[in-house]
Amino acid sequence: MKKSLFFALALLLACGTSHASEKIRIGLMGPMTGSWASEGAEMNQVLNLLADDLNARDGIPGKTVEIVMADDGGNPRTAALAAQRLATQGIVAVIGTYGSAVTEATQNIFDENRIIQVANGSTAIRLSEKGLPYFFRTCPRDDEQARVAVQSIEDRGVERLAILHDSSTYARGLADEARQLLAGNPDIEIVFFDALTPREQDYTAILTQMRRSSPDLVFFTGYYGEAGLLLRQKRDMNWDVPFMGGDATNNPDLVKTAGVAAASGFYFLSAPLPQDLPGEETKAFLESFSQRYGNPPNSIYAVLAGDGFRVVTEAIARTNSTDADEVSDYLRNELKGFPGLTGEISFNEKGDRVGEVYRLYRVDDEGQFILQP
Amino acid sequence: MIQYKTIALIITTGILAVLPQFLNPYWVDVLNNIGIYAILGLSLNIIVGHTGLFNLGHASFFAVGAYTAAILNTQYEIPVLWLIPVCGLSAGLFALIVARPIIHLRGDYLCIVTIGVNEIVRIALINNVFGLTGGSNGIFGIDRPNVFGMTLRTPMEFYYLILAFGAVTIFLFRQLEYSRFGRALNYLREDETAAQGSGINTAHYKLAAFVVGAVWAGMVGNIYAAKMTIISPESFTFWESVIIFVIVILGGSGSIPGVILGAVLVVGLPELFRDLANARMLVFGAAMVGMMIFRTQGLLPQRPRKYTLPQGRRNGEGGE
Repeated sequence: MKKSLFFALALLLACGTSHASEKIRIGLMGPMTGSWASEGAEMNQVLNLLADDLNARDGIPGKTVEIVMADDGGNPRTAALAAQRLATQGIVAVIGTYGSAVTEATQNIFDENRIIQVANGSTAIRLSEKGLPYFFRTCPRDDEQARVAVQSIEDRGVERLAILHDSSTYARGLADEARQLLAGNPDIEIVFFDALTPREQDYTAILTQMRRSSPDLVFFTGYYGEAGLLLRQKRDMNWDVPFMGGDATNNPDLVKTAGVAAASGFYFLSAPLPQDLPGEETKAFLESFSQRYGNPPNSIYAVLAGDGFRVVTEAIARTNSTDADEVSDYLRNELKGFPGLTGEISFNEKGDRVGEVYRLYRVDDEGQFILQP
Repeated sequence: MIQYKTIALIITTGILAVLPQFLNPYWVDVLNNIGIYAILGLSLNIIVGHTGLFNLGHASFFAVGAYTAAILNTQYEIPVLWLIPVCGLSAGLFALIVARPIIHLRGDYLCIVTIGVNEIVRIALINNVFGLTGGSNGIFGIDRPNVFGMTLRTPMEFYYLILAFGAVTIFLFRQLEYSRFGRALNYLREDETAAQGSGINTAHYKLAAFVVGAVWAGMVGNIYAAKMTIISPESFTFWESVIIFVIVILGGSGSIPGVILGAVLVVGLPELFRDLANARMLVFGAAMVGMMIFRTQGLLPQRPRKYTLPQGRRNGEGGE
């Protein structure tokens, strides 16, 4: 009898100590299945690494952070379900997701449940124009990218510009925005504006059509797969017009698809690549990521998800609160110049990230991505 | 027998009516998705299950309904639920135009054309046809539906809307199944030549089945648009058509309970397997393959029709 009482007490104590560090749950909503699955997998890796690191150094005193993952499948219907599920799991904030339409399907669900949402790859402008108090994003908006794109196009003294997109939400938005900004510039004429069909193998038809309008520069706003094919087929037809891409062309697979010779000289816009990021913390992060998973992170969006996690945990630690209003108030008004993995982070009153993020990159003769001054 | 059925029906209705009170919003929303797909499955069941026409483009009718609701609601601010008949009509009209020239095609040929129609609709939506569909962005900012002055927001409120719509659907489709029209469709499925020989206008009945299925899919499209408040072409891909088709075939084509069970499995299982993270679609696929190997006719196939003979004849024949 005494013995069993002792055991019961010991058990109680054990339970007591394990509950002493309170758990803070942070959601991750990402495309773990579907066509963007590689992005989702890397987001998951980054967040788990950061959470373990934070817990190891007791980043939020007396509390541990736990990541709750939900798959949005890259599809609005699945995402709405994933968001409903996360909302019932007692999370304080959610990081994600990647696609803009997918994020849009979940915004109201998180807002109604008073959960902070920090999107990492959704660049569509309208997401932050709705005045939702708990919505933030660490990635820049399409209009910011279009502004930088137009700036670099003007700097190159281009007179005849071709714009090519792929009708996806993102590519179309960027192309439209760039066209609008250029409308005010009498020196640049847009001689071609059209879309290709993604996931085809042969783009010579549209390249020939584009060649007839003899542009000085082609601005392709679509994704890296098509960009690689375009570059290779452009070279095959001996057309030496320079190409520039949006940030969705930023992926090492571009060089693999196009071949080094065809890819060299290709310009693209991107948030700074992980290896070009200054700051000791970023270097340490990249090192521990490579150590744990065998390679550095490929996608900047996964690192941006990491930044979302870091600002949220910073806000929780500083306010010592998990109340959505207090945390979002801190993020909006007090967090200024936070040393993020992708540079300094501050948010404006809409929840958008402030400051210049985009840089111009060029592929060199060895297929490396070189930051342009 | 009839007594049993009535009691079972009352109990099921009762359970379904109070179910959301015991579930969290996530599971209620899973039920909502099951409900939407069950009604879509029932509408396709008229075409595939009863008439035996292979239609792998059902998502296109669903899309026409959803986009009709979204465009009329966002441009002219017509309350979204009032548009249910309009959505049905537009989807039905679309089906009539598309199906009229191809309705005489048999089996797999018809199937291929419907796949093509689905792709044409999806790509037309992406290309922002007539400047109305918002391209790949889709249409956002669709109003929440309003029922008797109450705005539906939470999954639980939508649950009752979908449940009511589902109940009406089941009732009407049951009536249809046991009508002259339903028998004619089954006759077509079993033996087209014999049906023609018995004086059934095959083209007319096939077309009618197509249009009825499409009208219903269009109305579900309206509810889907109202529930999501954003629709984009990603929601109406060929894969969606496949899912609806699988629901009908897996559950048991031609049978209302079968289709509902199919929707529960096809939409519900991936959610149950959510904890398996990356492997969840794998487990789901394996479960489907397993079911198709062991029950090719579907889980709850259509039962043969039973008719009680008039009393006098029965005695003369010596019982059943």
